[in-house]
Amino acid sequence: MRELLRVNMTDLSVKLEAVPDTYGNYGGRAFTDAVIYHEVPADTDPLGPGNKLIFAPGTLGATNAPNGGRLSVGAKSPLTGGIKESNAGGQAALALARIGLAGLVIEGVPADPSTRYALVVEADRTGKLVRVDDWAGLGNYEVADKLAEMRPEGDKYASITLGPAGEAFAKAAGIAVTDPKGYPNRFAGRGGLGAVMGSKGVKGIVISYAGTNSLEHADKDAFVAASRRFSAALKEHAVSGTGLPMYGTNVLMNILSEAGGLPTRNFSAGSFESADAIGGETQRETILARGGGSNHGCQTGCVIQCSRYWMDKDGHYKTKGPEYETAWSFGADCGIKDLDEIAELDRACGDLGLDTMEMGATLAVYMDSGALEFGDAAGGLAALKAGLDPTSELRVLWEGAEATGIKYGVKNIPVVKHQALPAYDPRSVQGIGVTYATSTQGADHTAGYTITANILGVGGTVDPLKTEGQAELSKNLQIATAMLDSLGLCIFVAFPVLDIPDAFVAIHDMVQAHTGEEWDAAALMQLGREVLTMEVMYNRQAGFTAADDRLPAFFLEEKLPPHNVVFTVTDEELDSVFDFVEETAAEMGLQ
Amino acid sequence: MTIDVALFAYLSVYQPDGQGGRQSRPLEIAQGTTVAGVIAQLALPDAPRVVFVNGRHAADEYTLSAGDRLAIFPPVAGG
Repeated sequence: MRELLRVNMTDLSVKLEAVPDTYGNYGGRAFTDAVIYHEVPADTDPLGPGNKLIFAPGTLGATNAPNGGRLSVGAKSPLTGGIKESNAGGQAALALARIGLAGLVIEGVPADPSTRYALVVEADRTGKLVRVDDWAGLGNYEVADKLAEMRPEGDKYASITLGPAGEAFAKAAGIAVTDPKGYPNRFAGRGGLGAVMGSKGVKGIVISYAGTNSLEHADKDAFVAASRRFSAALKEHAVSGTGLPMYGTNVLMNILSEAGGLPTRNFSAGSFESADAIGGETQRETILARGGGSNHGCQTGCVIQCSRYWMDKDGHYKTKGPEYETAWSFGADCGIKDLDEIAELDRACGDLGLDTMEMGATLAVYMDSGALEFGDAAGGLAALKAGLDPTSELRVLWEGAEATGIKYGVKNIPVVKHQALPAYDPRSVQGIGVTYATSTQGADHTAGYTITANILGVGGTVDPLKTEGQAELSKNLQIATAMLDSLGLCIFVAFPVLDIPDAFVAIHDMVQAHTGEEWDAAALMQLGREVLTMEVMYNRQAGFTAADDRLPAFFLEEKLPPHNVVFTVTDEELDSVFDFVEETAAEMGLQ
Repeated sequence: MTIDVALFAYLSVYQPDGQGGRQSRPLEIAQGTTVAGVIAQLALPDAPRVVFVNGRHAADEYTLSAGDRLAIFPPVAGG
């Protein structure tokens, strides 16, 4: 019997419950979606007692499946107004799965909004809420330290923490998860889920997994054989085996600039003249020169090792990465050409608990208003920190790019479903425009990462500047991603999986050997369709229509240099992406 | 004729001047030289790669013109 831990912040109860049959065998994103779909009415106030914040490991969590320890965090989003799954690395999924929890569900809100709680979950799956009112206003790093102080010597645990932005119910607030060294630097960043955690009065969660072991499998020998094949594929592929561990995600900076797809100065150009100064190669050289380690995993069981720590000029840890999306958002999009300045902005967001993608895009919009010069990193940092004062007019920046653009009268606001576009311009990478427009999550590159075939030559090639084939490419990747997110696999496994047929077979072999259920390729893709179907139907109930599946008009009207192109995928093609939803809903018995 | 060549990530060590770095450098090539020809001229490893000419993807058989910018990446990704 699968179990979940249900925490009610209204009556302060913590209960271990059986997972309802309606949630089937779902893990990860499928699990968080099912709880939202069945338990959170679509018209619920995202910051009210009816919303629920769910943390779930994937189906392969706490097994020895390579890169199988991702965490899904779900709720109704205060930013988009729709369903949200924000996916994070770090150790929390491992801890939850190790102690036998399919998920952690936090519901209700405390009577007194000034109260703060730490949720302590022990390895025996008992949980208690501890009043920590004096933690109010603390940054993520200090909260992680406070949680660590609560634990006995020799304990093994993972932490989930909330910074001041979440306590302020900011729509750009994310939730931090600790990495193997205990730094709260992995993020469920997108969609304002930090505000949901803030509304629940939960400042931190610590999950002990002391004395536990890897989960047992229905067929251990078959699992070991399949996981070895999977691991071999990850190591064999040039991207996951060499490129990512050597340079990290920020190796994308130069290639996107070369392709004319790097959004620069609030999406006004597609190449940045200082791309190399903020790219992965410079990042690697600088970290090594400062005595830092060039690569490590963000969680136990990672064989790709794309994470890295940025060291300051004195060789001290400053922040993670920065990852490509962060280096882009504060770098090219804000016209900032210095990795130390970007790292300062990343650290500030990491400690305040703000989504670096939303905040970089927001600062770029703010700069576009003329209030600040593009490239002014010090001014950007001050504007970002100004939100700590609730009376500051700059607090609006914490509400994201759209709210900021409206307040300051900016014409070009790059958002879909109120969420800022990530690091690829949809005019010169047309496939990702389909994903941005149609994703249930708002503009989200990870939802269907067409950069693979559009730019990188992974999983075939689809010309990024042409209309043809983009909708089909995005659809297939959105289905596959929803599946990977539900199994708890890092989406970077997609690079080898798209090129090495046996890697895909190894996935369903691992799931079958672990669960004892029959799995094959068709079942994996059906899982992906079921996840997206729950999300599309929930969003429709929340009031979304086809008109919400569109890019802002300027992407269709204003040509992007250097290729001087606009987004040309038609509305009909966009509307074809979810053509399977009605049929899948009928198969699932949803209405 | 002369083209501009930029090599990225771990390919930058193959720049003929041995200086590394990602900034582009001029390269003298014969008229009619293809992308594959430049790759042979630079002695790049025979391994998968992503090639752009003037910001657009180009195949090995693409014939270069004077003044073209040729950029070559090993297989990389992120996201």
